[in-house]
Amino acid sequence: MKEAVFTFFSLFTLLTAAGVVLSRNVIYSAFNLVLCFFGLATLYLLWGATFISMVQILIYAGAIVVLFVFVVMLLNFEKPNERKTRLPIILLSSAGVWTFALILLRVLSKSVGEIPVLETTARASVRTVSKLLFSQYLWPFEVLTVFLLALIVGIFVLARPEGEEVK
Amino acid sequence: MILAEKLTSMAYWSHFVSIALFALGLLGFLTRRNALIVLMSLELMLNAVNLLLVQIAMRTGTSEGIVLVVFVITVAAAEVAVGLGIILNLYRMKKTVDLGSFRNLSG
Repeated sequence: MKEAVFTFFSLFTLLTAAGVVLSRNVIYSAFNLVLCFFGLATLYLLWGATFISMVQILIYAGAIVVLFVFVVMLLNFEKPNERKTRLPIILLSSAGVWTFALILLRVLSKSVGEIPVLETTARASVRTVSKLLFSQYLWPFEVLTVFLLALIVGIFVLARPEGEEVK
Repeated sequence: MILAEKLTSMAYWSHFVSIALFALGLLGFLTRRNALIVLMSLELMLNAVNLLLVQIAMRTGTSEGIVLVVFVITVAAAEVAVGLGIILNLYRMKKTVDLGSFRNLSG
């Protein structure tokens, strides 16, 4: 049963990801991206990482995609003004990408047997993650908070209307 | 491990899923010319790496991978915010988001 659910959501995630990459209209890509993020959240849930699953829905499906949809609506595409990529570029890059993917799959599948499978899910609970985050990884966490503050200021400067000086 | 056993194991398939997701993202990143879709492909690649991190963290029973995923998600959100700001400015400049039309730096 778990395998069936897992297979379904894996295929769902991959199909919606293909929809993001292949659709001609940007807004369809954005909507496929939401579905893909929800599929990924379900996969995290199936792996037992409940905290990451909720974070995925809140931040990715909630915030990031809303940003994307906002920008797509703001730019107001009437016609898809994207030029088609030339065929040799598509062929070359797909050959490169699939070679890369096959090498990666080969390397990772060698290590599949070596990693022990644990049934416990307590390792990814909010309690353990936050304990680790506020003791061993406190400094990276604090650096990240300063980084986010710098980001807010940077976005404010970057996205101001044309010709308006920062006061 | 024999092949049939490999193909039925969940771990193998989940590795396959995250690698395929990464490959799709990379393909979109290389072939699409719409800046917004390129940014979305970047998100797909980051998510593929997150998925692999979560799988390996849950299988080895270490929480460090989960903490790393939290950091990656934060940085990804920041990256999207900055990227979309830059794309908005580019659109104001050229009235298009086609990456082929931004050739000012190539002389």
